[in-house]
Amino acid sequence: MATVNNWIDHLSASEVQGAIYPGVGSEGILVILGLIIWIGWHVITAKQEKEELEKLARQRRGPNDWKSNITDG
Amino acid sequence: MTDELGALTTIFTEFYYWITVVLMFLIHVGFCMYEVGASRYKHHQHTLMKNTMLIPLVTVTWFLFGWWIYWAFPTGPGLAPSIMNGSDALITDDSAFSAKFYVATSQLMAVNLGDHISGVFWAAFLLFSWTAASIVSGAIIERITTFAFGILAIAIGSVFWTIDAAWGWHFDGWMLKLLGYHDAYASGVIHAIAGGFALGVLVVLGPRIGKFTSSGEPRNIGPRNPWLVTIGLFLIYTGFWGFYAACNIPIFNLGPEYGMEGVTYFTATNIYVTPTTLSGITFNFLMSLSGGLLAGYVVSRGDPFWTYSSGLAGVICASAGNDLYHPIQSMIIGMIGVVIAYKMHYWVERKFKIDDAVGAVAVHGYAGFVGLVICGFVLNGYPSSGYSVGAMWDGSTYASINPLGMFIGAIIMFFVLGMFPGYVIARVLNGVGRLRIPREAEIAGLDYDIMEAAKDDEKSVASATR
Repeated sequence: MATVNNWIDHLSASEVQGAIYPGVGSEGILVILGLIIWIGWHVITAKQEKEELEKLARQRRGPNDWKSNITDG
Repeated sequence: MTDELGALTTIFTEFYYWITVVLMFLIHVGFCMYEVGASRYKHHQHTLMKNTMLIPLVTVTWFLFGWWIYWAFPTGPGLAPSIMNGSDALITDDSAFSAKFYVATSQLMAVNLGDHISGVFWAAFLLFSWTAASIVSGAIIERITTFAFGILAIAIGSVFWTIDAAWGWHFDGWMLKLLGYHDAYASGVIHAIAGGFALGVLVVLGPRIGKFTSSGEPRNIGPRNPWLVTIGLFLIYTGFWGFYAACNIPIFNLGPEYGMEGVTYFTATNIYVTPTTLSGITFNFLMSLSGGLLAGYVVSRGDPFWTYSSGLAGVICASAGNDLYHPIQSMIIGMIGVVIAYKMHYWVERKFKIDDAVGAVAVHGYAGFVGLVICGFVLNGYPSSGYSVGAMWDGSTYASINPLGMFIGAIIMFFVLGMFPGYVIARVLNGVGRLRIPREAEIAGLDYDIMEAAKDDEKSVASATR
């Protein structure tokens, strides 16, 4: 996985390779992974939010009921 | 890097942009504080989380495709050929600054010893993206779902503002060439578009419950924590310093860049690679801020909320030309922008029943729009680009800055790329029932369950004896 094993050899090469992160060449896979995480996050949080809002709506609280929940420290 | 002077210049530039990014982070801190201060107690925590979560959402999409859009779209496509390759197609070939180098899979989009600039430049633009999304966030508090806001934030932060930046902020942008568009510190490319986008969303979203009486008269829902609003706006001012610096290139040799044989001329430049000075824009930043505060204090009769916001609106209005204005011009332009934005806010509110909770459409949208129009008159005749005198652009010369071009540019920013997409996306989200929270949840307060749980925790702890 390591792209660099020896800095002296790496920097004294006739043409120094710029990219030094692990797994150079696997950028496509990493981006696909990022996309999956990004889309998955939206799906999960959208579901969570919908459930929470529906639960809150079912309680039919009044506009000032929240005041009974103020903590005093 | 093998020569000392080149290395110093590169690392100075890398560090310069890095510092601007850190400073600009304060803009987002300020927006978070401002929004929470403006929201009502029962919505505080959700309001904060909504604005906070735009950070990762816009950042990831900016990495995946936003940055690519900026480098690919300067030609329109199809509106004016690029000075880099002569084609009016999307710039994705091997030419310099092609989007090909900034696709998410590029090796330059990572730790790369051969590139010290891409990451910090990417981040500077990303912070502009956060700002655009955060402007929208404030206007729509207390009644939008976090899901819908996430989609809207990505749309404005990683798509639409990016397109307008490619068109009107990129040195190769078609709006410079055909319209003579000039917007050095983003009156239009960030503020007018974000204000317009927010307005488009607000039209569909509707007002908060209780904002208007049954006869349509608006009720004031003022900031619940004016001190948080105050600190928030001071932080936004502070971050705005970093923003101004980030819009500049700190050191550039314009002689060879413009094709002038034997001429060496090092200077700071604006984003269009035309000369300005960090010193000069510092004059103008402070004078336009002062103009905004002075006018805001008068027009609002000393209302703190509007006075602070007006300082920001003053800077926003003068920003289009603050690379070249005289400081007194900046101050006066800032004052004009504030008066128009303030009056427009209340006129639109009454006429169209638009509930802009923090005045974002006015401060950013109207002030930005007016700033572009004024810039067209005050800078009429200035070149929109230094490349017009060189051989790099051979289609025709770049248009000079002019009133009509700037007015058309303002229309493109506020309406075409701002309000219209905001309205359409909000309609789609509304159509699938995901735009607005349920009425009962809005009345109860988004934080009701969190607050109830906190109260239960408190009771439990208070009654504990060990």
